Amino acid sequence: MLLEFDGVTKRFRNGVLANDDVSLTVDAGEVFGLLGPNGAGKTTLVSQLLGLLVPDAGRILIDGADVVADPGLARRRCSFQPQAAAPVAGLSARQAIEIVGRIRGGTKAAVRRRAAELVEILDLAEVADRPVPMSGGMARLTGFCMAAVVPGRVVVLDEPTNDVDPLRRRALWGCIRALADDGAAVLLVTHNVLEAERCVDRLAILGGSRVLADGTPAALKANLAAALRLECSVEPELPVPTPPAALGPATLVGRRLVVRVELSDVADAVAWAKAQQDGGAIAEFAVVPASLEDVYASWVAPQRLAS
Amino acid sequence: MTAATWRSYVLLLRWQFLRQRAFLPMLVLIQVALGVGVIYGFSFLVPHVTPNIALFFATGAPTLSLILVGLTVVPQETAQSRTDGRLSYLAALPVPRLTPMLAEVTFWLLVQLPGTVATLTIAALHFDIHLHISPFVIPAVGLVALTSAAVGYALAVSLPPTVASQIASFMSIVLLLFSPINYPLSRLPEVLQDIHRALPVTYMADVIRGSLSGEYGANRSLAFGVVSAYCVAGLALAVRAAARRR
Repeated sequence: MLLEFDGVTKRFRNGVLANDDVSLTVDAGEVFGLLGPNGAGKTTLVSQLLGLLVPDAGRILIDGADVVADPGLARRRCSFQPQAAAPVAGLSARQAIEIVGRIRGGTKAAVRRRAAELVEILDLAEVADRPVPMSGGMARLTGFCMAAVVPGRVVVLDEPTNDVDPLRRRALWGCIRALADDGAAVLLVTHNVLEAERCVDRLAILGGSRVLADGTPAALKANLAAALRLECSVEPELPVPTPPAALGPATLVGRRLVVRVELSDVADAVAWAKAQQDGGAIAEFAVVPASLEDVYASWVAPQRLAS
Repeated sequence: MTAATWRSYVLLLRWQFLRQRAFLPMLVLIQVALGVGVIYGFSFLVPHVTPNIALFFATGAPTLSLILVGLTVVPQETAQSRTDGRLSYLAALPVPRLTPMLAEVTFWLLVQLPGTVATLTIAALHFDIHLHISPFVIPAVGLVALTSAAVGYALAVSLPPTVASQIASFMSIVLLLFSPINYPLSRLPEVLQDIHRALPVTYMADVIRGSLSGEYGANRSLAFGVVSAYCVAGLALAVRAAARRR
């Protein structure tokens, strides 16, 4: 196993327990998603891998070597995109990418070639050669390139897609996949559950400092109580219709009403929704398969209620 | 220093220059104006400048600014880099722990260089003094800058940014008024003299003054010995602070 967290526990001096007995493994060639609400301990876990924080208990191994004991090894083996924008002020994207690539041990020619490739793929031409103040998305993409120019055995990406527009985002996911295909273990911290579903090989859901669930997206969805969901757009002017209790729990996010539905109840659910649509309370509706977001909600929501 | 360490130092220094490129002319100009202003200002403060006082003024101004770069600019920049995430970004790169600090100090030393030369030139002309600059000026400048920067860096990494910058401003006032940099040690009260015999400031001023004028306060070996010892201690402190994981 390339990367292994084994019983990692971290309590801050203010008493907050950020990671509680976290055990995870990520293999070479894998994109591993670390999902969880704000404050679940995702960034803390990553910081311990990078040697910025030290765990109170547990081990972190890269290729079997303990990086808690040897943080220098962790820095050589991991390349990192931080959650905050990478510090690129005053530099052009190309300069920032090339400097970090050279610091990470790349040769001048190789780094230049790879930087040009990344600039091309992620369409960074407009900031590539001018030290302009970058937009949030551009700075974040530059930060990604700085982690990808000379990738480590482990590539740690903390919220890489935030602020990135849809087209570049698609290209970015392609680059992330390519890093894994080239043999890296990619550890991806994200809030974006829907995107993660399409891009990660395996994932863990962190909540309340513990690992709530981990596995492939398909395996996690298989364990979900309701396999489908009914999504309705409710009309803003009218009161929100209440679905029959027999269908399952409903949640309202903005104008989107989501009801988790068992396969056997689909006909009832559609009949109810159609009646609401005819009555004008619902603009449109659809029955869709449960997504990773449902898995996420099924783990995180009860955990949040409990705390 | 291995080739890889040297390479990362050069790259971080380059990063530093690129980062500050837009402000570089202003930074250099301010250093020049400050140095020249201090020399003129001193002559208002002390109307009858004897050659000995003039020597203290001329060599004290660059000494003070060397120390202040370490004790105020480095902590301020470090505090800033803690806030904007640069410090932890650099800490996650495969470079030796003190390399970012060394690049920072080097950058500010280079920014200061034109100001220092201007100050010395103006002082020599204004007070009509003759400097005898020896090769010892290079280790002297290096030691003074590195010692102050190491201490300033350790402070800024270990303490909350606000506290570090308050301490840094306090120290600069103490250095300006109560340290034998711009005047001889003998002018201070006995108690302060004793304190300063144990602190590095007197010796820092002495290695700079001595290497610029040939006139050391006590003797050259003692002055360089004390500053070197403080430099090693300061670097040890900085390494500890930089390597500390919370």
